[in-house]
Amino acid sequence: MSDTSKPAQGFRLDALMPGEGQIHRLSALATLLLLVAGFSIASPAFFSVNNALTVLLQTSVIGLLGIGMTMVILTGGIDLSVGSVLALSGVVSGLAVKAGVPVAPGMALGIVTGAACGAFNGFVITKLRITPFVATLGMMLIARGLALQVTGAVPVSGLGEGFGTLGNGAPFRIVHMKPNGFPQVLFPGIPYPAILLLVMAVAGAYLLRRRQLGRHIYATGSNEEAARLSGVRVDRVKLYAYTITGALAGLAGNVLMSRLVTAQPSEGMLSELDAIAAAVIGGASLMGGVGTISGTMIGAFIIGTLRNGLNMAGVSAFIQQIMIGLVVIGAVWIDQMRNRR
Amino acid sequence: MSQPLVEMIDVEKHFGGVRAVDHVSLDLCAGEVVGVLGHNGAGKSCLMRMLSGAMVPSGGEIRIGGEAVQMTSPNDARDRGIETIYQTLALADHLDAPANLFLGRELKTRFGNLDDTRMLREARTVLARLNPNFKNLRDPVSSLSGGQRQVIAIARAIYFDTKILIMDEPTAALGPSETAMVADLIRQLRDEGIGIFLVSHDMHDVFDLCDRVVVMNKGRLVGAHRIDEVTKDDVLSLIIKGELPADWSARNLAPAL
Ligand SMILES: Nc1ncnc2c1ncn2[C@@H]1O[C@H](COP(=O)(O)OP(=O)(O)O)[C@@H](O)[C@H]1O
Ligand SMILES: [Mg+2]
Repeated sequence: MSDTSKPAQGFRLDALMPGEGQIHRLSALATLLLLVAGFSIASPAFFSVNNALTVLLQTSVIGLLGIGMTMVILTGGIDLSVGSVLALSGVVSGLAVKAGVPVAPGMALGIVTGAACGAFNGFVITKLRITPFVATLGMMLIARGLALQVTGAVPVSGLGEGFGTLGNGAPFRIVHMKPNGFPQVLFPGIPYPAILLLVMAVAGAYLLRRRQLGRHIYATGSNEEAARLSGVRVDRVKLYAYTITGALAGLAGNVLMSRLVTAQPSEGMLSELDAIAAAVIGGASLMGGVGTISGTMIGAFIIGTLRNGLNMAGVSAFIQQIMIGLVVIGAVWIDQMRNRR
Repeated sequence: MSQPLVEMIDVEKHFGGVRAVDHVSLDLCAGEVVGVLGHNGAGKSCLMRMLSGAMVPSGGEIRIGGEAVQMTSPNDARDRGIETIYQTLALADHLDAPANLFLGRELKTRFGNLDDTRMLREARTVLARLNPNFKNLRDPVSSLSGGQRQVIAIARAIYFDTKILIMDEPTAALGPSETAMVADLIRQLRDEGIGIFLVSHDMHDVFDLCDRVVVMNKGRLVGAHRIDEVTKDDVLSLIIKGELPADWSARNLAPAL
């Protein structure tokens, strides 16, 4: 029994644990503000409404993936397939719309495809007892291969204006007609992707905090055997978590492809790493049982801001890759330090 | 005697070649405490886990209230009023005491949301009954002392409508006063008509609380006696050698020396 050693170790945690999650999120938030301040000084164009909207758009994809990733990480798992599932879902939607299906059901089909990929992940993990890392690595190849196969590796374009609404539309746009007949944009509107991200983040946080499934997601990641003995159906909990993650990846794929008004089978490469990094930077533990949606949102904005700011500052794509790589390692390192304490 | 609450008949559990539980038969009546003793690795926990629904037997039959049952998950056992305090406590470390207490059986509001307010209130009441000093209910249980963790595990078993209680070394992490409190609790639950299996290494507790003892050795049941038939030395001999002393006869029948 591990309890003989627990109390001593537990006592030190006693002083640290309760506020620790919040402290982590606060420091992440401070990092985000520092990044914004730094980039604003480095490049005046960074701190503008238009660029803020660009960051918001870029972050919405990372954020949607991050919400799902947080859930599977909370169960003690990981999902390496979200980038590929994003591409497959977007491609399915694109092909459906191209084939004449109206935009809304066409996109729904893509999201259902994502959910199906996620459910398959959950099935492989819970029924075939394959570790999440390997199972979702397999799905990463399967979904990417499918996306490339069905499109012949050629982007699907000519999808029509309707397909672009989700990614490019912005309700609450205020345009003032000037006397000379030219329109003046008083407020550029709030992009649909940003609204979608907010809605999904609130829904995700509600699920995790207020619903039984959310409680069971935390319990499963915290101590799977204890959860099982307490009557939690851990296999079903995991199946739900992976399915939700797949559906969110599908949604993110539709947002991204809609923004490009083209279904790109090679989109979303390595975006699973952005999502994992967002969750970990936001305080999620890869050991499971620890993490919040709000933390992941902050993490997503840190990554989105970092990418955008480095671009604006003229840092080369190669250097960017190096820096993001270091941030990912740093975030996981911090996670491990936290667990070792 | 009335219908036993639990009858385990010829129950077996194998892991590959290891016979963790080997043709064990055992019963338990209402309002009775049965001690389950044996060395580490004798198979006590496996036997109890089969009754908890946490482990599926390789063979044999389990009857609850006279009815043969197939329990494949802990929920099956809980639905029949069987509650278990596991040796490992089975707590989710990152959750707080109320969340652990109600894990798998969360209280909900009308809209199906978690009713954390009510769970906290109920947890406060039941935990106070076991340990009046239990105040830090909102802390993750990983930060609590071994005794407090044990109290949560015990509270979880007695809060719900329990008919059969399995306690796998419930006092292992407790100090003397908490151990005494658990002993009082066991008597109280027994008087309410609950049948209790008490797995313990503490000979004093066993002789103090149990009506009967059963002893396991290498997966087999090597002795089942009323507590007044045996002495501590007899039980020790069963645990260590797997048999009673050569000159044994039921102590309560023998003339006092
Ligand atoms: N899940 C398992 N897989 C394989 N062997 C097990 C498992 N659980 C218990 N055992 C073995 O079964 C035997 C009995 O264990 P256990 O019931 O825990 O003993 P006790 O509780 O009496 O100390 C031991 O030899 C143990 O190694
Ligand atoms: Mg044991």
